[in-house]
Amino acid sequence: MGYVAVTAGEEIIERAEELFEKQRVEGEADDVTVDQLEGQLGRLTAQAMSEGGLYAPQLAGLAVKQAQGDTVEASFLLRAYRSTLERYDETVPVEPSEMVASRRVSPAFKDVPGGQILGPTKDYTQRLLDFGLLDGEPEDPTEDWNTEDVGEPEELTNVMELLREEGLVDEPDAPDVDEPTDTTREPVTHPPARDAVLQELARGETGAVTALGYSSLRGYGQVHPTLAEVRVGHLPVKIEHPLTGDEVTVCHTEVSESEAVVPVYAKRDDPQFAFGYGLTFGRNERKAIGMTILDAAIQLDGVEEPAENPEFVLDVVDGMDSFGFIEHLKLPHYVTFQSTLDRIRAIRERRGLADEGRVDASEAGRNDDTETEEDNRPAEDAPLAEVSDDD
Amino acid sequence: MGDPTDRSDRFELIADCDGETLARFANEVLESDPPLSVRQDPRPQLLMQQVVEPVEHRPFNLGEVVVTPAAVELDGQRGFAMIPGKAERAALSGAIVDAAVAGDHPVTDDVLRALEQVAADREAERAQAWAESKHTTVDFETMEDEE
Repeated sequence: MGYVAVTAGEEIIERAEELFEKQRVEGEADDVTVDQLEGQLGRLTAQAMSEGGLYAPQLAGLAVKQAQGDTVEASFLLRAYRSTLERYDETVPVEPSEMVASRRVSPAFKDVPGGQILGPTKDYTQRLLDFGLLDGEPEDPTEDWNTEDVGEPEELTNVMELLREEGLVDEPDAPDVDEPTDTTREPVTHPPARDAVLQELARGETGAVTALGYSSLRGYGQVHPTLAEVRVGHLPVKIEHPLTGDEVTVCHTEVSESEAVVPVYAKRDDPQFAFGYGLTFGRNERKAIGMTILDAAIQLDGVEEPAENPEFVLDVVDGMDSFGFIEHLKLPHYVTFQSTLDRIRAIRERRGLADEGRVDASEAGRNDDTETEEDNRPAEDAPLAEVSDDD
Repeated sequence: MGDPTDRSDRFELIADCDGETLARFANEVLESDPPLSVRQDPRPQLLMQQVVEPVEHRPFNLGEVVVTPAAVELDGQRGFAMIPGKAERAALSGAIVDAAVAGDHPVTDDVLRALEQVAADREAERAQAWAESKHTTVDFETMEDEE
């Protein structure tokens, strides 16, 4: 593998960046504030936090603003920021049943204890453009609700526990892990431990997780689950207080959770259900459900279907990886392309086709009608990019 | 409801308190120029949030949370605070407030009242959010026998 230094004008690159920034501020509209993004475009900031693997609502709003709404770019900014920080500690592990839920529906059980709580959703209404939002003043449509005397907030029983009580869930051996794998610090090895799979899926790119989960539903796999429940709520972030040693709650993270019952027996001779699980930062039920399907599919350990192959799934769902690899194709590849041209030319020469439709690489991409000598002058600045000629 | 005289409860209430209120109390404490040493600079750090998934009861790393911790020693009393997000000023103020209450500084009564209000507001918000969610409780009906 070789690297070739490519010089470019630093000033020109700065101008390009300034032009990008101009796109954000041009026009008559007021500058959108980070608070507005965090508050009113919560799904966008949630997606950036989820894919960035970093819960920081205000910084996510800043990242979305800086990225002009490009969620993967915003996730990239959050991960870059994360890389500058020290880790204080791991939290005390929390059970999902500790979630303070604002929404919980169970497609599997009609009469689920605690009830079917729709919460804030438009799942059951028509998707029509609301032209009132074009110039409407913000109003709270729940202002007239009588919300008194509904009782204390309840902990909603996890549906998985109900099935477990009936003996319908395979009782796992006690996991022999005290410290789960941390894929931000150690590379994933194959076959991956389930905790590594869950961590990688939790910060996977929403579209990729959804698409691969969908592939299983479309017949490229065996997993077509029934969702035991979908929940949205807040999980406590707990540490041990350094002075008292007590478990204390620093804050809560908003999460989306999904559990799926899979009609595949975990053991051939014992008809119990297998399960899939999904949990991700922020309000993003679609991603949590996709994660659930992939978790269940990966446990089948297949290699024929994409969604069942953990190596394939984990290699392609990370938005940063795909972002980097797809976007790097825009960078100069002159050396790579030159060597490709040389090879093709050599073959053509050997076959006596050398003079037919020849393209001179030194002329490729030039437009002599518009470029001036000044345009083509090498920059005086130091090399700004190093480009691999071996992808 | 959290008891702000209890150090662990106080920690949670300080974490929930707005930065301006903490800064105002910290400034009042520092007006008399008490001996103060910063044992841990306030700077954003990470907590890796671990969750026990309900299928195999296996802990896994959900992702990291940005928090800003700070620790001080104020007039012989230690103080510690951790504020969600990137909040250096609030974290240092919170640690000073924590130490001031531990040392029964004259500002203590005002701080306790403010933190009690934080606890009350927190409970009220939680109850309101739950009440709103409960207002969307629905019975899904099956229609197997209907013709």
